[in-house]
Amino acid sequence: MQYQSQAVSKLYFMAAIGLFIGQILFGVILGLQYVIGDFLFPEIPFNVARMVHTNLLIVWLLFGFMGAAYFMVPEEAETELFSPKLAIALFWIFLIAGALTIVGYLAVPYATLANITGNDLLPTMGREFLEQPTITKIGIVIVALGFLFNISMTVLKGRKTAISMVLLLGLWGLAIFFLFSFYNPENLVLDKMYWWWVVHLWVEGVWELILGAILAFVLIKMTGVDREVIEKWLYVIIAMSLITGIIGTGHHFYWIGMPEYWQWWGSIFSALEPIPFFMMVIFAFNMVNRRRREHPNKAAMLWAIGTPVMAFLGAGVWGFMHTLAPVNYYTHGTQITAAHGHMAFYGAYVMVVLAIISYAMPLLRGRAAANSNKSQVLEMWSFWLMTVSMVFITLFLTGAGILQTYLQRVSENPQPFMVVQEKIALFYWMREVAGVIFLIGLILYVMSFFIGGEEEAIA
Amino acid sequence: MPHSDVDNSKSEPYEEQPGQGLAITAEVLYLTNLLLLPGFAFVALFYVYLRYRNSSASLASCHIRQTFFASLWAGVMLVLVNALIILLGGYQSPSTWIVVILYFTTIHAALVLLGTIGIARAMTGKHFHYPLVGRPCPLASS
Repeated sequence: MQYQSQAVSKLYFMAAIGLFIGQILFGVILGLQYVIGDFLFPEIPFNVARMVHTNLLIVWLLFGFMGAAYFMVPEEAETELFSPKLAIALFWIFLIAGALTIVGYLAVPYATLANITGNDLLPTMGREFLEQPTITKIGIVIVALGFLFNISMTVLKGRKTAISMVLLLGLWGLAIFFLFSFYNPENLVLDKMYWWWVVHLWVEGVWELILGAILAFVLIKMTGVDREVIEKWLYVIIAMSLITGIIGTGHHFYWIGMPEYWQWWGSIFSALEPIPFFMMVIFAFNMVNRRRREHPNKAAMLWAIGTPVMAFLGAGVWGFMHTLAPVNYYTHGTQITAAHGHMAFYGAYVMVVLAIISYAMPLLRGRAAANSNKSQVLEMWSFWLMTVSMVFITLFLTGAGILQTYLQRVSENPQPFMVVQEKIALFYWMREVAGVIFLIGLILYVMSFFIGGEEEAIA
Repeated sequence: MPHSDVDNSKSEPYEEQPGQGLAITAEVLYLTNLLLLPGFAFVALFYVYLRYRNSSASLASCHIRQTFFASLWAGVMLVLVNALIILLGGYQSPSTWIVVILYFTTIHAALVLLGTIGIARAMTGKHFHYPLVGRPCPLASS
């Protein structure tokens, strides 16, 4: 490590991986509940398993982003972190608050959780992905403010680079848009609209800035290409992300009671949303082709190259598939959405966090640049197992979604939801098998941290 | 740290290879044919192929041949095969639509990805052989 204070990121990365395991375990349980409805009922009802699966995803990615920021910013700013102690304190606060929230979901009925956490004083609960008790949300804001203070002060006292500025913009945006989760108007249309200001403007807005910054950082370090070249690409990519992503929010406004013009605005701008991901693929391959050194950490390079490819497929292609208003009229809320969500989150955010962990962890563990060859081979196996199984999860869910759309909404005799669910059960079974393979890939990933051996020589 | 980017600024300036402009043009037309102007961009690519396929610059010749033949394959796989699936499976059958949509999306996305790798290679002055749908490059040394 270049700066001692970068060590705090190790805690965040370890927590992220731990919570990732939890997320996938609940995903496998959830997948089984699609075909065996009373599996683990009443201990873990479907709605609770789903809530834990999605909430853990968000929380572990936040841990990953924070860890990435604590690792990247000292190097970018060429100075120690403003306050490593604050970073460690906030880590424990966030971890304990997150763990208590998950325990709350699992231990008591959701309505009881709302009562005991005083939701009636400031009602914010009961909305998808934002199910956290109000007190947890307040905790998240406090942690985010402390984190942003720490990171911003570090940047202010050191060198300012395009990467740290884009990262900061993304992280500040993340915190600011989360504040809309506290606004819970009576009017259901307004409620849904502002809910999307959190959810959409996170994943199709400011999170893309964080993704771009992390990817650019890893590519600079691993390829040796001029910082200037990479930063130019970064500027164009984030500009396209924001141009398309902000007005692209309109694709969520089609059927919630918003004015009709959103069908045009939403369709046009979301049709453009694959552009930044498309550019990211060209960017990554371009930088690898221009590389001036062979970095010994091949596993990290694999994650870094895989990220834009899978993000382009999941967020770009599968997003485009159902984003035009006339198509979305039929496909809205079907398994096609789930297919898109799975591959987009995996490609864009899971993989980029794993890329920075893969790059940073050997350094944080005192190695010169990379893990041993044995460890890297295992990690690359985990890459392929997780990535290929995610492709299959997406394909099976897409198949399920097409059949669901046809039987439920397009055919001459539309069938009820639950009848159709039984008819697409075969796809759910295949998805479950792919999910188990994903879990095996994740286990191999964790195991790769415990493989010793001689570290790879520096090229 | 051993792999700091401090050294990055010392790297030599990037030099353009002979035929690189044509190589990039061919890749852009290939992607435009798939993404924006199907047919029109192919006509332009066909013109480039007829005029420059035996270009003295091996880089240009390689990329032009790849993109032209890959575009022909794209036409077969995306138009003809889909038409055949619909014809054989029946327009009204849900299974036909599952196959058609999944097939079209994956093949189209795969062809676009090949194009993005191709354009990235062309931009860095390197040859690229499209797997399965391309033609071998005679002097693909880089």
